[in-house]
Amino acid sequence: MSKKKFNKTSKCRFCRMGVDEVDYKDSIHLPKLATSQGKLFSRKRSGNCAHHQHSVKVSIKRARFMALLPYVA
Amino acid sequence: MYEGLFLIDNTHANTEWDNVVKHIQDILQKNGAEILKTEKWGEKKLAYKVKGHKRGTYLLIHFNAKNSAIVTIRRDFQLSDYIIRFLIVKDDKIEDLSQIGAVAPVAEKDVDKIPEIPVVDLLEESNVSVKVAEEA
Repeated sequence: MSKKKFNKTSKCRFCRMGVDEVDYKDSIHLPKLATSQGKLFSRKRSGNCAHHQHSVKVSIKRARFMALLPYVA
Repeated sequence: MYEGLFLIDNTHANTEWDNVVKHIQDILQKNGAEILKTEKWGEKKLAYKVKGHKRGTYLLIHFNAKNSAIVTIRRDFQLSDYIIRFLIVKDDKIEDLSQIGAVAPVAEKDVDKIPEIPVVDLLEESNVSVKVAEEA
């Protein structure tokens, strides 16, 4: 039962939105992909595909540099 | 196409914003860059202290420049007093100015599929009429 529910939303969130590359200025989605401590969520936890997880990784690191997201909170 | 995000010292941003913007644009233009769009984000609380600043104002500029000019542009910005921090990112995917306007964080997938028009089966109707004609 629970497995079926999981499979329904198996596509990665950025694939569903039709986003090609994740933007580092995206202040809505990026904070959701990091813990309250500021650590990145795993691919398993975030549900992202390989392409978008890589894109998220790069953009979170850019956002951290510009003080949009914390390195450590 | 390059995209530069500048973090500007609040003391300068609040008192002489126009000067700061002009200063940044001058640096870009001096190095042969073509400015496409300038956007102010407004004052924000920073996620951590940057050079002792807790708050800052962001400025986003889209510009076209030569590959070789970026090195000098970066050096000039590092020398600037107004700018706390900056990030220049290459963005080849944006080609039109209209696309920059659509850079908004939430990019919902377009749902403008054309609804299928119900096709009236003319053949069946003609068949019926033929049958009727034969019976008559």
